[in-house]
Amino acid sequence: MSQFDLVANLQLLVSGLAIGSIYALVALGFVLIYNAVGVVNFAQGEFVMFPSYIAATFLLPAVTVFGTVVHWQLPVIAVYLLVIVLMVGFGLLFNRIAYYPLRDRGWLPVVISTIGVSIFLRNAAQLTWGSEPLVIPGLFNMDTFAIGPLHVRPQDLVIIVVTALLIAFQYLLFERTTLGKQMRATAQDRATARLIGVRVGRIVAITFVYSALLGTISGLLVAPLFTVTKEMGALIALKAFAASIVGGFGSIPGAIIGGLAIGVIETFGGFYISSAYTDAIAFVILIAVLLIKPSGLFGERVAEKA
Amino acid sequence: MTSRDPARLRGVLLLGIAIVAVALVPLVVHSDYILNLCGVAGIYAIAVMGLGILLGFTGQMSLAQAAFFGIGAYTSGWFTTTLGWSVWPAMALAVVLSALIGLAVGYPCLRLSGHYLALATIGFGIITQLVLINWKSVTNGSDGMTGIPPPQIGSFVFDTYGKYYYLVLVAVLVCAYIAWRIKTTRVGRALEAIRENEIAARACGIDATRYKIVAFVLAGAYAGLAGSLLAHDTKFLSPDSYSFDQSVVFLVMLVVGGSSSIGGAILGAVLLTFLPEVLRPLKTSYIMVYGAAVVVMVIFMPRGLAGLIEVARARFSRGAPPPGSSVSVVAAGATGAEPA
Repeated sequence: MSQFDLVANLQLLVSGLAIGSIYALVALGFVLIYNAVGVVNFAQGEFVMFPSYIAATFLLPAVTVFGTVVHWQLPVIAVYLLVIVLMVGFGLLFNRIAYYPLRDRGWLPVVISTIGVSIFLRNAAQLTWGSEPLVIPGLFNMDTFAIGPLHVRPQDLVIIVVTALLIAFQYLLFERTTLGKQMRATAQDRATARLIGVRVGRIVAITFVYSALLGTISGLLVAPLFTVTKEMGALIALKAFAASIVGGFGSIPGAIIGGLAIGVIETFGGFYISSAYTDAIAFVILIAVLLIKPSGLFGERVAEKA
Repeated sequence: MTSRDPARLRGVLLLGIAIVAVALVPLVVHSDYILNLCGVAGIYAIAVMGLGILLGFTGQMSLAQAAFFGIGAYTSGWFTTTLGWSVWPAMALAVVLSALIGLAVGYPCLRLSGHYLALATIGFGIITQLVLINWKSVTNGSDGMTGIPPPQIGSFVFDTYGKYYYLVLVAVLVCAYIAWRIKTTRVGRALEAIRENEIAARACGIDATRYKIVAFVLAGAYAGLAGSLLAHDTKFLSPDSYSFDQSVVFLVMLVVGGSSSIGGAILGAVLLTFLPEVLRPLKTSYIMVYGAAVVVMVIFMPRGLAGLIEVARARFSRGAPPPGSSVSVVAAGATGAEPA
């Protein structure tokens, strides 16, 4: 490329922002759980993968489930509602099995148990849906559409808009509602929150559910761009994790900006530098940030308590 | 000297019996398949012990153990195939190189701890795997590296699973002995002090920076040796074997075994190498069951297999709990515990 091509670069920017929005949503899921219980959830990627499979099962005219072809196609809205209801249950169950019994045992056992759940879910998905990737349609039935000279994938715009709405919703939830304030209080200091009458156990459960829903929504958004496979969540989750560190771990604006930044830089880097190393870019940024400013762009200074 | 202490004597005796029993396995088991698995379990045990020095002794989390494992394997593979070195110097180089890279990774990571350190090591692991896949002129990319020779001493070639079993067994014992020496001497106590409370350790005059680097280097060296042993065992290398998932497997082996116990690390590696094979009759669902088993083990065996065995031993000897058991309860609880 000899000459700077504005249109091509703008198109890269849009797709970078779209994938970055996905990282941002998943990163938010990480940060909320981390803030609430002090543990990184290694099954966060499966919070993206599992609902995508469920959605695919009911969106597609024919899907192979346990080796038999089923025809369970439902209207789109019904599918989305169904997936959300199922994932609320899933979040509660996850909290109950993988976190609750280990809540007083430090972070390592919880990390291991979330890894166990992640292995379980990935292989449960393979067992249920086989190893053929599934392709689910986007909301709009067209490849690209034109805004002036720009050709944009409609799904990219859907992703960006939905993410923006979700972030606005979350802001209102945390700033304006009692539930949101209880969630923030729990994140700040569980013991004190309990003292002032917050039912911490319940708030933690709600946090897991909310995090599962963030994963669900990012899965539903991103699945039309990629394919639905048992591995789809793993790399997204790792990069989202990197994004949350780059932004400053524990910081909600940090997670959003870190996610967007990694999506954009990775898209440009994959185009201009090397497509073989696209997946490494996020981690190179991560290591650079960790070395230069370990607390991330928006993080508070990490001081160790004696 | 406390060698007259009957409890200690009994412990040494039990250990000796265990080693002899393990050494007799190839005389009883003739299935190449099982002997190969035993060898692989031993190789994993070495990598897991290395992780144990870093995480169990020192409290520093790493999810890059498979990357060092891969660096060891590919160093050994490349020097013996492309450059035609004989196996032993290549193996030594694999250990040294992994240790040096451990130093290079450990040094900048020192200011990180807990989840941050885990993340940085994940990043390092993923980059390493991408390099293994894409640096085709050296690693042959996804096609993998073939034709790696077996080690030999004079005219004795370690070319059967039975012979290789003994090579691995010797390596495991040497590594376990070194780890035990580290644990029970000044260095080990310094590492433990850092794990329990780094600030307090520094206040006592422990050069925490230096000791943490030592732990990183040792973890790298152990993984490098394990990788090299695997390369000359399977004689084929593919970048898939050195993924993030493999690092997770090492971590799970360590925690299931009992993170600050050397015997636990070995037991965890052996158990989790054989568990998928035992579950294989379940066909496609076996890895799923494996995942569930990991969750169950973490919930119901708080101190891993090592803790379980200690409890069993205490129950058999009826009297007072074995010396040091209360200390190890504290240690196991503290591993991974963060100030809330």
